[in-house]
Amino acid sequence: MTTVHSTYSQDEAALEAAPPRVTRRKAIGALAIRLGAVAAFAAILIYLAIAAPGFTLPGNLINIVEQSAILGVMAFGMSMVIIGGGSNVTEGGIDLSIAANMGVCAAVYAKLLMLGYSDAPALGATLMVGIAIGALNAYAVVGLGILPLLATLAVMNIAAGIELTVTQNTVLSVSSRFLDFLSTSSAFGISALAGSLILASIIMIALVHFTSFGLRLYAVGGHPEAARAAGISASRYVMFTYMFSGLCAAISSVLMVSRLSSSTPGSGEMLLSVLAAALLGTVFSRRFVPTIGGTLLSVLFIGCLANGFQLLNVSSYWVNGVQGALILLVVATTSFARKPESGQ
Amino acid sequence: MSTLSQNPRGIRQISTFFANYSLLIVFALMCATFAIATPTFLSPSNLFNVLVNNVVLLAIVALGLTIVISSGGIDLSVGVSVDLASMVFVMLLAAGHSGLVAVGAGLGAAILVGLLNAVLITRLKISPFLATLGVLFIGQSTQQLATNGGQPIYLITGTPAHQFDLIARSSFLSVPTPVYVLAACAVVVYLLLHRSVFGRQVVALGVQPGVARYSGIRVGRQLSWVYVAGALLAGVTGILLSSTVKSYVPLSGNAFLLDAIGATFIGTTLSSERRPTVLGTLLGVLMLAAMKNGLLLVGWNFYWQQVGIGVLVFVVLAASFALRRGAH
Repeated sequence: MTTVHSTYSQDEAALEAAPPRVTRRKAIGALAIRLGAVAAFAAILIYLAIAAPGFTLPGNLINIVEQSAILGVMAFGMSMVIIGGGSNVTEGGIDLSIAANMGVCAAVYAKLLMLGYSDAPALGATLMVGIAIGALNAYAVVGLGILPLLATLAVMNIAAGIELTVTQNTVLSVSSRFLDFLSTSSAFGISALAGSLILASIIMIALVHFTSFGLRLYAVGGHPEAARAAGISASRYVMFTYMFSGLCAAISSVLMVSRLSSSTPGSGEMLLSVLAAALLGTVFSRRFVPTIGGTLLSVLFIGCLANGFQLLNVSSYWVNGVQGALILLVVATTSFARKPESGQ
Repeated sequence: MSTLSQNPRGIRQISTFFANYSLLIVFALMCATFAIATPTFLSPSNLFNVLVNNVVLLAIVALGLTIVISSGGIDLSVGVSVDLASMVFVMLLAAGHSGLVAVGAGLGAAILVGLLNAVLITRLKISPFLATLGVLFIGQSTQQLATNGGQPIYLITGTPAHQFDLIARSSFLSVPTPVYVLAACAVVVYLLLHRSVFGRQVVALGVQPGVARYSGIRVGRQLSWVYVAGALLAGVTGILLSSTVKSYVPLSGNAFLLDAIGATFIGTTLSSERRPTVLGTLLGVLMLAAMKNGLLLVGWNFYWQQVGIGVLVFVVLAASFALRRGAH
């Protein structure tokens, strides 16, 4: 017991004795790690550009953006929830229901189109369903005070069940004028699907990083009591993030239905990729918090990886494993950079 | 003091009581409803069937998660431990090794997964959520690569199938062996978590990691044991699972993950400090299993069962958290 105490007091004394050098070394270390993560990403991309035939062709790059659109929009929703709820994974903000919600929205959208409704009411209903499921999460988390991890887990089960009852676990093939527009039209060589990811990114970056709303949201996630003391209605912001993530799920469901021309069971499996994208994105920020830019980069990176593997003719069975290994590698290095800070 | 005047002590006590026992009350109401709706629900043969087929496997995984969640962590890779134990076990039996060797190697594979988690979390300081998420991805790839993209291995006939029967279909005093395995696991985890120094230290880590560290608990070592224990219990499940279905189906273990997390956290509503307990977890598993079975007997199809279970979990959590708020 005594030895433990004495080593700790020695550590603290050492810290107090030489603050400038330690902090500078810490800052340099953090910077190196952050650049290291970016450099690792860049190195892999350069390797793919050299080794994978046709990787850098404009058509392929746009293809990657298109493939990333569905994941990207959901990852934005997840980032929003994590920003507003704090990044403590067991008690902070998290939305496990987002992928299942997307499945419900896709099922509802496809079903309504099949029943003969036109695009506008079907789209409207889909967005409403997404937001409604988000509102259920918001009520459970803020109104009832259930841990987000649990509340959204329960809602995820409900949503997955609803999707199955709507689709009877079958593929609902549909087509409509709006879906055709999304999947075939293009402007300046950028297809509408790729365009919607770009548009969504611009709107999200503007909203989260260039408005007072975004700043307050970070305050709510970072230190709820301080935010409340500063007069911010923290609970309202948190509720908003869950409804927003429901909206993102609905938008992403429309993109998926247009890409596949159908709603397909099994969208709930995207949850882990969404989580990976949102959490991996934190390494691009100086304070290791989720940012929209970071999320976008990691979504595109995951897309490049899957696409590059395809071009290199590597078995797709490797993709999950490499993705997992990368998460561990990146997070391990960043947690070493973060350790001196959190030790204070 | 001001809350006292607004909220008289009697009402507060009542609502604390309901908050702590909402799980039991919902469970009792649910069983009563099913018993009235379908007479077969309470028949001994049905209850026995529920216990053997729905409870045992999930409960053992959930017991492992109870230890991990008590320590303030989470293990998303329990499915990988289940699958790899089952894979190694079935592959070795198929290659003609004896049952004992296969069981040992299967459990060894699960322990390796736990050790990997432990190293990532305690040495590399990765948060449990991300570390086990990464291991989950890697484990899925490993299985796909080892089985040519997810081809199941069936061992329906011959000597290996006989070895399976020895584990899953034998019984003692007309109680099947898997139930004894569950009972043994539950007792061991109970003693470990609630009646030992190790358990107290683990719970201390979960409640106040900083204080636990400063009071001299060897955080890294205890956490390593926690993740190894969680993976080992998942491995036991894997071996029971493949013995029951006489095959190894890749990526089937993940089905346990969310139910086990749900059961463990439903169980936390039973304790007044909202901590995971062995008894609570077992009750949570029982409730999920009874709900599935009851809805099946009432005639709901599989899809509606899922909605029903989601709503049930939601109601229990809502009741417990809302009443708890009222109590304070």
